[in-house]
Amino acid sequence: MIRIQFYSLLRLLLKEEKLDLPACTDENIEQLLQRVQKHFSTPFLHKLLDDQGGLHAGTIIMVNRRNILHLESLETPVRDGDLIAFFPPGAGG
Amino acid sequence: MAVDERYMRQVLHWGKEKQRRLETARVLVAGIGGLGATVSQLLARAGVGKLYLVDDGLVDWPDLHRQLLYTEADIGRSKLDIAKERLLQINSTVRVELLPGRIDTSFKLPADISFVADCLDNYSSRFDLEVCLPSGTFLVHGGIEREQGQVLTLKVGNSQPLAEIFSGALQPAGKIPVTGDGVVIIAGLMANELFSVIFGQPKLLNRCLVVGLGDLHLSFLDV
Repeated sequence: MIRIQFYSLLRLLLKEEKLDLPACTDENIEQLLQRVQKHFSTPFLHKLLDDQGGLHAGTIIMVNRRNILHLESLETPVRDGDLIAFFPPGAGG
Repeated sequence: MAVDERYMRQVLHWGKEKQRRLETARVLVAGIGGLGATVSQLLARAGVGKLYLVDDGLVDWPDLHRQLLYTEADIGRSKLDIAKERLLQINSTVRVELLPGRIDTSFKLPADISFVADCLDNYSSRFDLEVCLPSGTFLVHGGIEREQGQVLTLKVGNSQPLAEIFSGALQPAGKIPVTGDGVVIIAGLMANELFSVIFGQPKLLNRCLVVGLGDLHLSFLDV
């Protein structure tokens, strides 16, 4: 099972804190995102991805505590037992 | 007035040993705007021994709704100068050192600091600050935007760098929307964590507290 956690504005948008999905073989973050979207009637991928499917600045995606920009970005593999977090942090002070 | 009398109510809560730890602590507060004005005030009121304040700003009208150290009479004056004046009025036993300027990678951290409060308002300065901190320094980060905020403690050299955790975070163009109540809540949580860190009992080490002010929701993100 893969656990996906939503924080801040994404939690409010999707009205869910977390989602558990069964793991798929050879899946990466980009493919997982498409699967997550199917679980929600509210579109949210446009918050994370641009028109070309690249990552928007703003929301941090973490796999097992590591920012995917320091892993393999959207191609970061996702495996059974992984913890995925979507977190748009506040910038001000 | 005896020192014991000033701190009586909090010593009833956390005891004399922890109060002594506060009185020997040296904390750098980076940014004396929304978060920093309240964090520095709470640290001074609690009796933290020495505060270093870093900022390069002047008090302006859009600051007054959330930056609790400043008043209309301070418009156009240096935030650092006013902050020192007010903090010493609040607690004259605290030592306050001013470090005027903007934080970049050439920033020189005074040698006696073990604890740093990141009260900055942009990722670039935050990442530069972190680079300047020696291994072992505790960094308590706070951030807020609209109705979302976060507090996180990192131990430099042991934790993931802030710059790595927040890679890809968006620095909004222009002024960031924030309210006074939201800023004070996040600053209060930062002060709460700073006390815990000084006492040797951090609650948010490598653990980001994510605060939803719109629906009063708290969650944790391990990093």
